[in-house]
Amino acid sequence: MIVCVAHNIISPLGSTTAENYAAVKSGKSALRKYNGLWSLPEPFVASLLDRNAFTDDRYTIDEQIVITSISKALENTDIDVKSSKVLFIISTTKGNVFLLDKRENGFPQERVRLGMMAREVTKHFGNPNEPIVVSNACISGVCAQIEAMRYLENGEYDYVVVCGVDVQSAFIVSGFQSFKALSPEECKPFDANRCGLNLGDAAATIIYTKKDEVSENEWVACRGSIRNDANHISGPSRVGEGSFRALRVALGDLKPEKLALINAHGTATLYNDEMESIAIERAGLAGVPVNSLKGYYGHTMGAAGVLETIISMQAVDDHNILGTRGFDTLGVTHPLDISNQNRATEKRAFIKLLSGFGGCNAALLMEKGGLK
Amino acid sequence: MDELIYTLKQQIIEALNLEDMKPEDIDENASLFGEGLGLDSIDALELIVMMEKNYGIKLKDPTQGKEIFKSVAVMADFIAKNRTK
Amino acid sequence: MMKHSVIITPEHVLVDGNPLEHNESGSTMLTDLYRKYIGDYPKFFKMDTLSKLGFIASELLLNIEGNRDFEPREDRAVILFNRNASLQADTHYQSTIQNPDNFFPSPAAFVYTLPNIVTGEIAIRNKYFGETSFIVIENYDEKIIEKNLRLAFQDPITTSIIGGWVDCEDEEHFEAKIFLMEK
Repeated sequence: MIVCVAHNIISPLGSTTAENYAAVKSGKSALRKYNGLWSLPEPFVASLLDRNAFTDDRYTIDEQIVITSISKALENTDIDVKSSKVLFIISTTKGNVFLLDKRENGFPQERVRLGMMAREVTKHFGNPNEPIVVSNACISGVCAQIEAMRYLENGEYDYVVVCGVDVQSAFIVSGFQSFKALSPEECKPFDANRCGLNLGDAAATIIYTKKDEVSENEWVACRGSIRNDANHISGPSRVGEGSFRALRVALGDLKPEKLALINAHGTATLYNDEMESIAIERAGLAGVPVNSLKGYYGHTMGAAGVLETIISMQAVDDHNILGTRGFDTLGVTHPLDISNQNRATEKRAFIKLLSGFGGCNAALLMEKGGLK
Repeated sequence: MDELIYTLKQQIIEALNLEDMKPEDIDENASLFGEGLGLDSIDALELIVMMEKNYGIKLKDPTQGKEIFKSVAVMADFIAKNRTK
Repeated sequence: MMKHSVIITPEHVLVDGNPLEHNESGSTMLTDLYRKYIGDYPKFFKMDTLSKLGFIASELLLNIEGNRDFEPREDRAVILFNRNASLQADTHYQSTIQNPDNFFPSPAAFVYTLPNIVTGEIAIRNKYFGETSFIVIENYDEKIIEKNLRLAFQDPITTSIIGGWVDCEDEEHFEAKIFLMEK
């Protein structure tokens, strides 16, 4: 079984998993309105790290938060990251894309390549393997975990370090603005008045290993699946085709009543949330509580799949289904069980669900103590 | 108006990379989306940018596009009435 | 098991090792190949160079396989690798926002600033509901690619993969080496 041995989240809400979970549990959000930032003509709402806090001029902010996040995840382990038995997988959509803006300087242009950014990270840790970068739009964070599961299942590595990261920039924000996809206020996932998403900065790390026996308290990555809508490169399928198929494979023969929750993508765009409600209903999971964490963090892109998996593990450990911040009145066709309040649960499994541009969708089943 | 319609057809072809089309191939009264030219949601967003760039028209609400992008003729009419450059 | 291969560089096109006739070279070559061997998919012209390259390579590959009925299927994955991610599209999009006095971010350019869009284009064309994925490594490495693709058969439904390398630095510098892999 593929077991999570360590994790960390670096976000505007904290620099440890515990700080992040405590903040989310108490309803905190780092979403703020920014006016005139990066000379962008339109204001936007986002969850941003304080750029002045990153002073190491050898590394870009992306690289710095990846290195910090992985270092913190490693803190209480005895993993030797210099070993060739450890593989690094980075999940990111845009990495150091800000380097394309010729007004930004101080770093070699080659660092805009995701492979070079990842090599800076493995070089820092003295890891000898070529790092792999998963760049599969907004589902990257779950895809990277599925990659880790496959490599570990195959047995040639002892540990896989998965780190998801994205740092917002004029490039990304203006792109989403041109898509009319950003909400002018704090996002409202699954709500009748939702009007778009917010973006966010974060890095999040999960370290996995393979074990024959797991204890009651260990988290197991059971099954993951990636499926395409085969419909449109930017608009989600009207019938939730890829998301439904990904859910079906990830669920496998697990009884839906075993699930504490589905942690949905829930970006709060009109089409995404509607699509997810259709997919969840089609997969026979309409009775399972659903939540979205975008009201706390915004959409953290390459980090989202990792960050949201970690927060959901923490919540289930705490017998808690986190409330969907920003949600008030259900605004999707299929009735989903969503609340803006934290709710109690005794269940031990959840599904992390994501969708992205390119028609891609991913689902990952996590269960505490492993599938019985 | 005929001149604006012709220019607009050229601009649409260029903005949307309708490589195999000439202005003459576009019927200014035919629907741009669905059956007619078969444009999609990204094309609609790109047309919004094109109108701002070439005619200084800013659409605040993207759903407005639905009405304006009915056909090239409707678009030309809207541009003639609202252009700032 | 590997079946069939297509290699495209700005100078050569090899289909199962045999040179394929074409007139142009560099960036106009892809359009030339489209007109000569495909020709019924105008969405091609909207794509960025990476997607055009991957699309053409996959079309040539699937034409050798034959039997193109475009029936929906979930058992075929599209998993591609490269070095430059979506650099050509990124550079193009950046040019639409670089100048504050001429700031018109293009949604049609932005959507291609993700390397996995090419896998989506191939899935849409062929009605593949299977896995689509994009992985970036700094250098072309056959061992890493083949290992990764073999591991993808751990998926309970995947029985075949369109896989390989599809890289594009700019409109004149690109390379595709793709193949069909069966379980």
